[in-house]
Amino acid sequence: MSPDFENELREALRAVDPEDGFAERVRRRIASETRMRRRWLSARWAPEALAASVLVAVLGVYGWEQRRERQGLEARQQLIEALRVTGEKLDLAYRGVQDASRPASADDAGA
Amino acid sequence: MRSLTMKSCVALLAVLLLPAQAARAGDARLLLPDFQSLESKASETVSITLDPSLIAMAARFLDANKPEDAAVRKAISGITGIYVRSYTFDADFAYPKADVDGVRKQLSAPGWQQLMQVHSRKEHNDVDIYIRVDGSKANGLAIIASERREFTIVNIVGSIDLQKLHELEGHFGIPDLQLEQKK
Repeated sequence: MSPDFENELREALRAVDPEDGFAERVRRRIASETRMRRRWLSARWAPEALAASVLVAVLGVYGWEQRRERQGLEARQQLIEALRVTGEKLDLAYRGVQDASRPASADDAGA
Repeated sequence: MRSLTMKSCVALLAVLLLPAQAARAGDARLLLPDFQSLESKASETVSITLDPSLIAMAARFLDANKPEDAAVRKAISGITGIYVRSYTFDADFAYPKADVDGVRKQLSAPGWQQLMQVHSRKEHNDVDIYIRVDGSKANGLAIIASERREFTIVNIVGSIDLQKLHELEGHFGIPDLQLEQKK
Protein backbone atom coordinates (compact mmCIF):
# COMPACT_ATOMS: atom_id res chain seq x y z
CA MET A 1 0.00 0.00 0.00
CA SER A 2 1.51 3.30 -1.08
CA PRO A 3 1.81 6.11 1.43
CA ASP A 4 -0.26 8.41 -0.87
CA PHE A 5 -3.19 6.07 -0.88
CA GLU A 6 -2.96 5.72 2.89
CA ASN A 7 -3.05 9.49 3.29
CA GLU A 8 -6.03 9.80 0.96
CA LEU A 9 -7.91 7.16 2.93
CA ARG A 10 -7.13 8.83 6.24
CA GLU A 11 -8.27 12.16 4.80
CA ALA A 12 -11.53 10.64 3.57
CA LEU A 13 -12.34 8.90 6.90
CA ARG A 14 -11.46 11.76 9.23
CA ALA A 15 -13.99 12.70 11.85
CA VAL A 16 -16.19 15.58 10.76
CA ASP A 17 -18.38 17.66 13.17
CA PRO A 18 -22.10 17.78 12.14
CA GLU A 19 -23.64 21.00 10.95
CA ASP A 20 -25.33 23.26 13.47
CA GLY A 21 -28.90 22.11 14.38
CA PHE A 22 -28.32 18.52 13.22
CA ALA A 23 -29.35 17.03 16.59
CA GLU A 24 -32.47 19.23 16.71
CA ARG A 25 -33.49 18.11 13.20
CA VAL A 26 -33.09 14.42 14.18
CA ARG A 27 -35.22 14.90 17.30
CA ARG A 28 -37.93 16.67 15.28
CA ARG A 29 -38.02 13.92 12.71
CA ILE A 30 -38.34 11.18 15.35
CA ALA A 31 -41.20 13.07 17.00
CA SER A 32 -43.00 13.56 13.69
CA GLU A 33 -42.65 9.85 12.77
CA THR A 34 -44.05 8.82 16.18
CA ARG A 35 -47.01 11.14 15.68
CA MET A 36 -47.69 9.74 12.23
CA ARG A 37 -47.53 6.16 13.53
CA ARG A 38 -49.98 7.01 16.32
CA ARG A 39 -52.33 8.72 13.88
CA TRP A 40 -52.24 5.70 11.62
CA LEU A 41 -53.02 3.38 14.53
CA SER A 42 -55.92 5.53 15.73
CA ALA A 43 -57.31 5.89 12.22
CA ARG A 44 -57.18 2.12 11.82
CA TRP A 45 -59.48 1.46 14.83
CA ALA A 46 -61.73 4.46 14.29
CA PRO A 47 -64.57 2.66 12.44
CA GLU A 48 -64.73 -0.11 15.08
CA ALA A 49 -64.65 2.44 17.88
CA LEU A 50 -67.37 4.46 16.18
CA ALA A 51 -69.51 1.37 15.58
CA ALA A 52 -69.07 0.29 19.21
CA SER A 53 -70.04 3.76 20.43
CA VAL A 54 -73.14 3.82 18.22
CA LEU A 55 -74.09 0.32 19.42
CA VAL A 56 -73.68 1.32 23.07
CA ALA A 57 -75.74 4.48 22.45
CA VAL A 58 -78.50 2.56 20.65
CA LEU A 59 -78.63 -0.09 23.40
CA GLY A 60 -78.70 2.67 26.01
CA VAL A 61 -81.59 4.48 24.33
CA TYR A 62 -83.44 1.17 23.80
CA GLY A 63 -82.98 0.20 27.45
CA TRP A 64 -84.11 3.65 28.59
CA GLU A 65 -87.20 3.48 26.37
CA GLN A 66 -88.01 -0.02 27.62
CA ARG A 67 -87.70 1.12 31.22
CA ARG A 68 -89.78 4.22 30.48
CA GLU A 69 -92.48 2.12 28.84
CA ARG A 70 -92.52 -0.33 31.74
CA GLN A 71 -92.85 2.57 34.21
CA GLY A 72 -95.58 4.16 32.09
CA LEU A 73 -97.61 0.96 31.85
CA GLU A 74 -97.17 0.43 35.57
CA ALA A 75 -98.36 4.00 36.25
CA ARG A 76 -101.35 3.43 33.95
CA GLN A 77 -102.20 0.22 35.80
CA GLN A 78 -101.93 1.99 39.15
CA LEU A 79 -104.10 4.85 37.91
CA ILE A 80 -106.83 2.46 36.79
CA GLU A 81 -106.59 0.54 40.07
CA ALA A 82 -106.86 3.82 42.02
CA LEU A 83 -109.95 4.83 40.02
CA ARG A 84 -111.43 1.36 40.55
CA VAL A 85 -110.97 1.59 44.35
CA THR A 86 -112.41 5.15 44.32
CA GLY A 87 -115.42 4.00 42.28
CA GLU A 88 -115.91 1.01 44.58
CA LYS A 89 -115.98 3.17 47.72
CA LEU A 90 -118.26 5.76 46.13
CA ASP A 91 -120.54 2.89 45.20
CA LEU A 92 -120.46 1.68 48.80
CA ALA A 93 -121.51 5.16 49.97
CA TYR A 94 -124.32 5.42 47.41
CA ARG A 95 -125.59 1.96 48.34
CA GLY A 96 -125.55 3.00 52.00
CA VAL A 97 -127.61 6.09 51.17
CA GLN A 98 -130.07 4.03 49.15
CA ASP A 99 -130.42 1.47 51.95
CA ALA A 100 -131.03 4.25 54.43
CA SER A 101 -133.71 5.85 52.28
CA ARG A 102 -135.63 2.56 52.05
CA PRO A 103 -138.42 2.79 54.67
CA ALA A 104 -138.63 -0.94 55.34
CA SER A 105 -134.97 -1.26 56.24
CA ALA A 106 -134.65 2.06 58.01
CA ASP A 107 -134.08 0.29 61.33
CA ASP A 108 -130.86 -1.41 60.30
CA ALA A 109 -129.13 1.26 58.24
CA GLY A 110 -128.68 4.97 58.64
CA ALA A 111 -126.95 7.80 56.78
CA MET B 1 -102.16 18.92 89.56
CA ARG B 2 -100.61 16.26 87.39
CA SER B 3 -103.53 16.32 84.93
CA LEU B 4 -103.34 20.12 84.87
CA THR B 5 -99.68 19.94 83.84
CA MET B 6 -100.58 17.36 81.23
CA LYS B 7 -103.34 19.61 79.88
CA SER B 8 -100.92 22.54 79.73
CA CYS B 9 -98.46 20.43 77.76
CA VAL B 10 -101.14 19.36 75.32
CA ALA B 11 -102.34 22.97 74.94
CA LEU B 12 -98.76 24.15 74.38
CA LEU B 13 -98.21 21.41 71.81
CA ALA B 14 -101.43 22.40 70.05
CA VAL B 15 -100.30 26.05 69.90
CA LEU B 16 -96.92 24.98 68.54
CA LEU B 17 -98.54 22.80 65.90
CA LEU B 18 -100.98 25.48 64.75
CA PRO B 19 -98.63 27.16 62.24
CA ALA B 20 -97.90 23.78 60.67
CA GLN B 21 -101.63 23.09 60.35
CA ALA B 22 -102.18 26.53 58.83
CA ALA B 23 -99.34 25.99 56.37
CA ARG B 24 -100.98 22.78 55.22
CA ALA B 25 -104.39 24.40 54.97
CA GLY B 26 -103.88 25.21 51.30
CA ASP B 27 -102.92 21.65 50.52
CA ALA B 28 -105.47 19.02 49.63
CA ARG B 29 -102.96 16.24 50.11
CA LEU B 30 -103.39 14.36 53.35
CA LEU B 31 -100.52 13.09 55.43
CA LEU B 32 -101.21 9.39 55.32
CA PRO B 33 -99.71 7.38 58.17
CA ASP B 34 -97.12 4.73 57.43
CA PHE B 35 -99.55 1.83 58.08
CA GLN B 36 -96.61 -0.59 58.20
CA SER B 37 -98.17 -2.49 61.08
CA LEU B 38 -101.31 -2.96 58.97
CA GLU B 39 -99.38 -4.25 56.00
CA SER B 40 -98.07 -7.18 58.02
CA LYS B 41 -101.59 -8.04 59.27
CA ALA B 42 -103.46 -7.50 56.01
CA SER B 43 -104.22 -10.32 53.62
CA GLU B 44 -104.35 -7.85 50.74
CA THR B 45 -102.76 -4.44 50.47
CA VAL B 46 -103.23 -1.73 47.86
CA SER B 47 -100.87 1.19 48.20
CA ILE B 48 -100.91 3.65 45.33
CA THR B 49 -99.05 6.93 45.21
CA LEU B 50 -99.47 8.84 41.99
CA ASP B 51 -97.85 12.26 42.00
CA PRO B 52 -98.22 14.76 39.12
CA SER B 53 -95.31 13.29 37.15
CA LEU B 54 -96.64 9.72 37.43
CA ILE B 55 -100.15 10.84 36.46
CA ALA B 56 -98.71 12.59 33.41
CA MET B 57 -96.71 9.46 32.59
CA ALA B 58 -99.79 7.24 32.96
CA ALA B 59 -101.80 9.62 30.76
CA ARG B 60 -99.24 9.19 27.98
CA PHE B 61 -99.99 5.46 28.02
CA LEU B 62 -103.72 5.93 27.61
CA ASP B 63 -104.80 5.38 24.05
CA ALA B 64 -106.93 8.32 22.92
CA ASN B 65 -108.52 6.09 20.26
CA LYS B 66 -109.94 3.68 22.84
CA PRO B 67 -113.15 5.01 24.41
CA GLU B 68 -112.31 3.63 27.89
CA ASP B 69 -108.85 5.17 27.87
CA ALA B 70 -110.26 8.45 26.58
CA ALA B 71 -112.76 8.46 29.47
CA VAL B 72 -109.93 7.90 31.96
CA ARG B 73 -108.02 10.77 30.36
CA LYS B 74 -111.06 13.00 30.80
CA ALA B 75 -111.55 11.86 34.39
CA ILE B 76 -107.99 12.66 35.41
CA SER B 77 -107.71 16.02 33.68
CA GLY B 78 -107.25 18.49 36.51
CA ILE B 79 -106.07 15.84 38.98
CA THR B 80 -102.55 16.33 40.30
CA GLY B 81 -102.32 13.49 42.78
CA ILE B 82 -104.02 10.24 43.74
CA TYR B 83 -103.13 8.43 46.93
CA VAL B 84 -104.84 5.18 47.88
CA ARG B 85 -104.25 2.92 50.86
CA SER B 86 -106.49 -0.10 51.15
CA TYR B 87 -106.10 -3.08 53.46
CA THR B 88 -108.14 -6.24 53.54
CA PHE B 89 -108.02 -8.54 56.55
CA ASP B 90 -109.02 -12.11 57.27
CA ALA B 91 -110.51 -11.15 60.64
CA ASP B 92 -113.15 -8.58 61.57
CA PHE B 93 -111.94 -5.10 62.60
CA ALA B 94 -108.29 -6.08 62.68
CA TYR B 95 -107.20 -2.49 62.07
CA PRO B 96 -106.66 0.03 64.86
CA LYS B 97 -109.26 2.83 64.95
CA ALA B 98 -106.55 5.30 65.99
CA ASP B 99 -105.00 5.25 62.51
CA VAL B 100 -108.37 6.02 60.93
CA ASP B 101 -109.05 8.77 63.45
CA GLY B 102 -105.63 10.30 62.77
CA VAL B 103 -106.58 10.79 59.12
CA ARG B 104 -110.10 11.97 60.02
CA LYS B 105 -108.58 14.66 62.24
CA GLN B 106 -106.77 16.15 59.24
CA LEU B 107 -110.11 16.51 57.53
CA SER B 108 -111.34 18.83 60.25
CA ALA B 109 -108.82 21.41 59.03
CA PRO B 110 -110.21 24.55 57.36
CA GLY B 111 -111.13 24.04 53.75
CA TRP B 112 -112.37 20.46 54.07
CA GLN B 113 -116.11 19.89 54.04
CA GLN B 114 -117.92 16.67 54.73
CA LEU B 115 -119.93 15.82 51.66
CA MET B 116 -121.39 12.57 52.85
CA GLN B 117 -121.33 10.35 55.90
CA VAL B 118 -122.77 6.91 55.55
CA HIS B 119 -123.02 4.58 58.50
CA SER B 120 -124.51 1.16 58.09
CA ARG B 121 -125.03 -0.67 61.36
CA LYS B 122 -126.19 -3.77 59.55
CA GLU B 123 -123.17 -4.01 57.28
CA HIS B 124 -120.77 -2.37 59.75
CA ASN B 125 -119.70 0.09 57.08
CA ASP B 126 -118.66 3.67 57.63
CA VAL B 127 -117.97 5.81 54.59
CA ASP B 128 -117.03 9.45 54.91
CA ILE B 129 -116.59 11.59 51.83
CA TYR B 130 -114.96 14.98 52.12
CA ILE B 131 -114.20 17.64 49.56
CA ARG B 132 -111.73 20.41 49.87
CA VAL B 133 -113.01 23.74 48.64
CA ASP B 134 -110.74 26.61 47.75
CA GLY B 135 -112.91 29.63 47.06
CA SER B 136 -115.68 28.23 44.89
CA LYS B 137 -113.54 25.49 43.43
CA ALA B 138 -113.25 21.92 44.74
CA ASN B 139 -109.60 20.95 44.65
CA GLY B 140 -109.52 17.79 46.67
CA LEU B 141 -111.46 14.69 47.61
CA ALA B 142 -111.02 12.28 50.49
CA ILE B 143 -112.83 9.03 51.11
CA ILE B 144 -112.43 7.05 54.31
CA ALA B 145 -114.18 3.73 54.23
CA SER B 146 -114.07 1.41 57.23
CA GLU B 147 -115.67 -1.92 56.65
CA ARG B 148 -115.73 -5.08 58.71
CA ARG B 149 -112.65 -6.52 57.02
CA GLU B 150 -111.43 -3.65 54.92
CA PHE B 151 -110.10 -0.21 55.53
CA THR B 152 -109.56 2.25 52.68
CA ILE B 153 -108.39 5.81 52.34
CA VAL B 154 -108.54 7.62 49.02
CA ASN B 155 -107.12 11.09 48.63
CA ILE B 156 -107.42 12.85 45.30
CA VAL B 157 -105.70 16.18 44.83
CA GLY B 158 -107.02 18.49 42.14
CA SER B 159 -110.45 18.88 40.67
CA ILE B 160 -112.40 15.67 40.25
CA ASP B 161 -115.60 15.50 38.32
CA LEU B 162 -117.77 12.64 39.57
CA GLN B 163 -119.70 12.79 36.31
CA LYS B 164 -116.49 11.96 34.43
CA LEU B 165 -115.83 9.12 36.84
CA HIS B 166 -119.37 7.95 36.17
CA GLU B 167 -118.45 7.58 32.50
CA LEU B 168 -115.88 4.99 33.58
CA GLU B 169 -118.35 2.71 35.28
CA GLY B 170 -118.50 -0.75 33.90
CA HIS B 171 -114.95 -0.43 32.60
CA PHE B 172 -111.71 -1.51 34.30
CA GLY B 173 -113.73 -3.08 37.15
CA ILE B 174 -115.23 0.26 38.21
CA PRO B 175 -118.71 -0.47 39.55
CA ASP B 176 -121.94 1.16 38.42
CA LEU B 177 -122.23 4.27 40.58
CA GLN B 178 -125.96 4.62 39.78
CA LEU B 179 -125.65 8.39 39.57
CA GLU B 180 -128.54 8.38 37.10
CA GLN B 181 -130.99 7.71 39.93
CA LYS B 182 -129.72 10.73 41.84
CA LYS B 183 -130.41 13.17 39.03
